[in-house]
Amino acid sequence: MLRFVGKRVWEGALTLAALVTLTFFVMRLAPGGPFSRNRKISPEILEHIKATFHLDEPVWQQFGRYVWGLMHFDFGPSTRFRDYSVGDLIASGLPYSLTIGFWAVVIASMVGIALGIAGALRRNTPTDYLAGVVGVIGIAVPIFVIGPLFQVIFALKLNWLPVGGSDQGWRSLVLPIVVLSLPNIAYISRLTRGSMIETMRENYVRTARAKGIGPRRTLIVHTLKGALLPVIAYLGPATAGIITGSILIETVFAVPGIGRHFVDAALNRDYPLVMGITLLYGGLLILFNILTDLVRGWLDPRVRSDG
Amino acid sequence: MKRLLGTAISGIVLAATMTFAAPVWADDTLDRGIGSEWSSLDPQVNFDAAAGWIQMDAYEGLVSYDPTGKVVPGAAESWDVSADGLTYTFHLRDGLKWSNGDPLVAQDFVNGVLRTLNPDTASEKGYYFSSVIQVKGAAELADGTSKDPTTLGVTAPDDRTVVVQMLAPSPNILQIMGAFQVAPLHSPSFNEFGAGVFIDPAHVVSNGAYIIKEVVPQSHVLLERNPNYWDAANVKIPFVKYHVTEDVATELKRYEAGEIDITYDIPLNQIEALKASNPDEVHIAPSTEVIYYSFNLTHEALQNLDLRRALSLAIDREVLEGKIVKGEAIPDLSYAGGFDPAYHGPQIAEASMSQSEREALAKELYAKAGYGPDNPLKLTMVSTVSEDATRRAQGVALMWKKVLGVEATNEPMERKAWLDAFYAGTWDVFSDDLVGDFAGPETFLAYMRPSAEPGYNWVKPEFDAAMDKAGAIADPTARFAALAEAEKILLDDYIFAPISIVPSRHMVKPSVHGWADSAAGYNNSQWMSLD
Repeated sequence: MLRFVGKRVWEGALTLAALVTLTFFVMRLAPGGPFSRNRKISPEILEHIKATFHLDEPVWQQFGRYVWGLMHFDFGPSTRFRDYSVGDLIASGLPYSLTIGFWAVVIASMVGIALGIAGALRRNTPTDYLAGVVGVIGIAVPIFVIGPLFQVIFALKLNWLPVGGSDQGWRSLVLPIVVLSLPNIAYISRLTRGSMIETMRENYVRTARAKGIGPRRTLIVHTLKGALLPVIAYLGPATAGIITGSILIETVFAVPGIGRHFVDAALNRDYPLVMGITLLYGGLLILFNILTDLVRGWLDPRVRSDG
Repeated sequence: MKRLLGTAISGIVLAATMTFAAPVWADDTLDRGIGSEWSSLDPQVNFDAAAGWIQMDAYEGLVSYDPTGKVVPGAAESWDVSADGLTYTFHLRDGLKWSNGDPLVAQDFVNGVLRTLNPDTASEKGYYFSSVIQVKGAAELADGTSKDPTTLGVTAPDDRTVVVQMLAPSPNILQIMGAFQVAPLHSPSFNEFGAGVFIDPAHVVSNGAYIIKEVVPQSHVLLERNPNYWDAANVKIPFVKYHVTEDVATELKRYEAGEIDITYDIPLNQIEALKASNPDEVHIAPSTEVIYYSFNLTHEALQNLDLRRALSLAIDREVLEGKIVKGEAIPDLSYAGGFDPAYHGPQIAEASMSQSEREALAKELYAKAGYGPDNPLKLTMVSTVSEDATRRAQGVALMWKKVLGVEATNEPMERKAWLDAFYAGTWDVFSDDLVGDFAGPETFLAYMRPSAEPGYNWVKPEFDAAMDKAGAIADPTARFAALAEAEKILLDDYIFAPISIVPSRHMVKPSVHGWADSAAGYNNSQWMSLD
């Protein structure tokens, strides 16, 4: 177990190192730089501004400087948001993304799994069809349609919740959480349903039933445990993506999270911010993949022996 | 163990959820939209117009601007001009204070300019003093050839006098003596905390009508009335909150829900409906941003003046902006915009013709340049990816095709790539735009000098001479007349096709009073009041 975790962490570190290197150099291939302007700054001053951010050094030297900073947990200064370091920006935005993402994952898992089980147990009944319709809508209708629609209904017409922003406490969080959970509810419910139906046909479930175990216990202890494996496999990487912020959610609801930095930083050629966000996302992705494997190993002995 | 970890994580998240404190929803707050994000609240560093609003609220320059953009006394109650127009002497008000109660003295303004010019500040605003107006010693301090602060032509002979000495006269000086360019520096807090930290809400000391109370990146900046401001008795709104809303459609909904009183922009596809439903709340007025299509003078075909003229005349600017782009941009046949009503600049020579006459002439010139149906001109254009820019470029290409048979293709690129493409010169036609430093013609015309912007590859000694001539005149009326002559030389060469003036677009709630539309776009909250 410890050996397994140690191996995965080591592999993760290697992956991160490759990610840092690749992102650092590929990013600089894009035309334009952080200080491209349509009003020409005098060359001396531009040089000085670049020197402040060490952009005048050869790229390999900048890379060395960056890696050295990383070893000291210094992500560098943001070139676009001059008042902040990349660490400041992440520290300021992450709580918002984390809170919205966490609740969206919790709601999506609970509702999605419940809908999936209901669909599987009552196959081809109105319950199943309803769950199916919800699923198709959730997957097919994009956030940038559902989001504004909910804003019109719940904020402008009913006046229950704010349109956006972050200054009305928990009320500001409701719409982003609900809208973010919808596509995941849909996906998880379809996944659970399919997997449940398949597992219910497995020999060990039939054996359990033949042994005279009650339907409730068969369902929870035997069927569900096996059926959740693909859901867990999906949730791991999905959680990493959801809690690091959805650019669409944050744009539509004016949430000050870190998701928007993904695109904004790249467009503004804010190299340190792009690096910081990429690293954070990569790190979380690796972490959640390891956690997923641990949970799967706990649920399924076969995974454990493979690992 | 696992359970413990799970409990700990959910505990942290729960705690984080709870800390999103209960709303303080007060009617004593003016809520203003600020678009996507400010880049800095450091008064000597910030170069964004949107963050400029926050800066104009939190700081006061030597002069200030009323809602219509007119120069009014600021920290200085009056000023004198020397006979040669080279020296301006500003007299500060008596008893000025910083927000923490410290006395505000003339040297604080000098220190602000010195810090802007200091290469270590890495500010992009130094050119206001070395180029827009030529303050003595500014260029040397900015490029690092001088380190001696006493060589600067901005001095404080006593606590209530700021003297600015220039190398050439410039009546424009008052346009850049506001808080955006010459915010004073509170040296004690800067020396104690350093750049980046001295502007933290916990430490910030400012001299404007408001103080910065709370800053949440990507979310908002909250300002509170400054009791130590000299005119605090006339500042009516206690709190001002600037909201970041990247998506204009969301911003409009927040406005409709009452979360925002003044929007940053209006979605293009909503303008017509809003003008019909809420005509009094829609505020659209020219800004100081002009759009023009530059021709690449290093390409042989475009060195032909007849051809450039034909291309400019074939564009129907009314149809382009009114029917195709539909962003309320104002069609324009001049360059320097005429933002100052005192400036009577020229338009292109064919301005008095009808569009069909212009098109007939364009066809003639196109044929004269040696092009026709069998031998069409092929052009590549470069624009940004923004919706209005791509629509405009497609519209222009369509008109060139229809009128002349030109085969033009547009290559939209994101903004930073577009800026670099300009200098790379990999285009025939560049969808250009320029935001003026102030609402006057000179900022645009000076930009076209090869010494200011060599990227146009336009060599015209006559234009330089005309600009030099204007630059030596201190009297505003005579100077404008000389500038108009220079603009004529510029327009007659058709090195670009002027297209339009970009408008500012805001929704303003009827409960907000004291808002006025102006090209300068200064709308200090101190002039406003709420019902």
